Amino acid sequence: MSTTEETATIPRATGAPTDAETTAVLAPVPAAATPEGRWRPGRAGWLARGAVWLAVAWLVLALPANQLSPITIGPADVDIASRAVIFAIGGLSLHVLLGWCGQISLGHQAFVGLGAFTSAYLVTDLGMSFWFAIAVAAGFGAVQATLLGMVSLRLTGLYFALVTLAYGAFAENTLFGITSLTGGEGGKPAARPPGFESPENYYYLCLAFLALVIWLDWRLTRTKGGRAMAALRENPRVASAYGINVRAYTLMAFAVSGIFAGIAGSLTAHHDEIIVKSSFDFRLALTFVLMTVVGGLRSRVGVVIGSAFFAILEEGAFVAMVEGLIGGLGFTPTFFESVIGLPAEFVGLVVGPILLLLTLTLYPGGIGQQIAPITRWLGGRRFDRHAGAVREVEVDDVRA
Amino acid sequence: MSQTLDELGVAAVTGTLQGAVYALVALGIVLVYRASGVFNFAQAEFGTTGLFAAYTAKELWGWGYPSAFAFGIAAAVAMGLLTERLVIHPLRNAPRVTLLVATAGVALTAIGLQFWQFNETLVMTMPKIDDSFFLVPPFDAPVTVQQLITFGVLIAASVALALFFRSPSGLAIVAAQQEPTAAELVGISVRRVSMMTWAMAAVLGGLAGILAGPNTTFSAAFLSFGGGAALLPGFMAAVLAGMRSMPGAVAGGITVGIVEQMGTLTIVSENVPGARAAVLFVFLLAVLLVAPRGIYLGKAAVA
Repeated sequence: MSTTEETATIPRATGAPTDAETTAVLAPVPAAATPEGRWRPGRAGWLARGAVWLAVAWLVLALPANQLSPITIGPADVDIASRAVIFAIGGLSLHVLLGWCGQISLGHQAFVGLGAFTSAYLVTDLGMSFWFAIAVAAGFGAVQATLLGMVSLRLTGLYFALVTLAYGAFAENTLFGITSLTGGEGGKPAARPPGFESPENYYYLCLAFLALVIWLDWRLTRTKGGRAMAALRENPRVASAYGINVRAYTLMAFAVSGIFAGIAGSLTAHHDEIIVKSSFDFRLALTFVLMTVVGGLRSRVGVVIGSAFFAILEEGAFVAMVEGLIGGLGFTPTFFESVIGLPAEFVGLVVGPILLLLTLTLYPGGIGQQIAPITRWLGGRRFDRHAGAVREVEVDDVRA
Repeated sequence: MSQTLDELGVAAVTGTLQGAVYALVALGIVLVYRASGVFNFAQAEFGTTGLFAAYTAKELWGWGYPSAFAFGIAAAVAMGLLTERLVIHPLRNAPRVTLLVATAGVALTAIGLQFWQFNETLVMTMPKIDDSFFLVPPFDAPVTVQQLITFGVLIAASVALALFFRSPSGLAIVAAQQEPTAAELVGISVRRVSMMTWAMAAVLGGLAGILAGPNTTFSAAFLSFGGGAALLPGFMAAVLAGMRSMPGAVAGGITVGIVEQMGTLTIVSENVPGARAAVLFVFLLAVLLVAPRGIYLGKAAVA
């Protein structure tokens, strides 16, 4: 529809469009402050919210590390939890592009992979400390993304997708083919930093980095740059008419995304302890796209949950859980394999894309939209079943 | 030195013929991009789907080659129409990036279904239309009849497209692409035009898949990023054509095919690991740096 000329108008401000000038004498009375904004839950409400917050904190902080937990989780499952946290960082990395900036990268496996191999090389071959290595990996991520971005921004449009797609293939075959960097078929060892060797401690380390990334991401959207990105996401032409340097801010988004991807890569390397290049193939880039969109664009919580879900799905733990549940109900425990004829290792491959298409066409807000009533309630507001419905921030397409 | 020259000759011939597949994919990409401004990442998967359907009909159901071929094309068209109806049409007002993700999602869904349905036979082979091959004299470049057929189909398809865009239906498509509202006012159904575009793109993708499949063994995602990866070369060919020119897409496809074969030269492949991907990447960067608007722009009037 909007292929040709589009004359755009600025999205209307949300306030009542009554003529402000004529009624300027009357101060803009608390019309803006809706009653909902003043509503505070009662004591029981606070208690209930506190209980849920405690439960969430327990689920994130204590359960995966076997603290205060009724069940015992094996070290392998703790590693899956760490993987979920790393995926969340990766998801937030892509989300900077997809959610905040309206661009997309199809070569994220290369950013993550190069971060991983850089970190492993610095720690194993040059004997540097992990903390230095992760900083270098993050820097490398930013440099790669910025350089590729500079090339792709010579054209308006989504050419970053194409350039990163080509870069991903190049990195997979050429960069990761350099044996001294990647250790060839045998892989490259990457020891965990001292003090974080145990799965539990490494989980907390990943969690700390996730907290850092979430904080950076949150600050990013609250700055001038974040508002500029929101504007150029909606309509680059209108944004540039308002004096926003579209190119510079898009590049900034690429750089930030690259930094997050580098951190995720470094954490992946030391998580696996021996990394092989086959773990950074095109499938990983696609998984990142899936988990970001299914998680919900412009919803940090949604992206984190979506990423964790896909990490668990990838590792086969989700299938194991579902089949365990089905088995517990008295059905055949190899449900996917024997009933639908879908081997367990392909479940993610089939389920993920279908979830993606359903999300895009039916629930554009993804998981973030589904859980919005709960997150808002936890934030001390009323429970509203319809919260989080995506408001169309559509720029009107006016034709003569 | 003369060995390098011989290799160059062989690479040029092989690249031109391989480029025919890329050109078919690129034609579909350009067609869709012109119609809806979407980077169609499902284009190559139309081909793989067609190939899998043809394989099923030929090898598993024992149909004849022509009917299996037609069945493959029909499957690709069905997928194209379903994509348009179920994904593209509902999202027509969504941002471009959403549409891009959606087409990638279509491709991924198809790949997932292929893995699911064909997971027992991991590697499949489709017989060639004609098994013979010969060596082209000056450099003894091996050329299979299958590749020549592919090239012939490319020429036929380009001529057919060129003629079609001069016919009333073709002009209606051009009109709807340029100005949908005005086209509707003069009685062109934009909805029908959109479906027609996607069906045509799917035919082109299907042709690429069914003709390229027999060159080698194949598995799921064959034409997207498997053994016959044509998605990225197809996009590069489309970029060379400025995303708009049909003749440019053909020229671009053949160019990309030849450039890619430069990675198989001994001097390159011995020194650079994964030389073909590296050559393609460097080529894309060079094109975007030197001539970002494309090289083979053709007549703007056709676009």
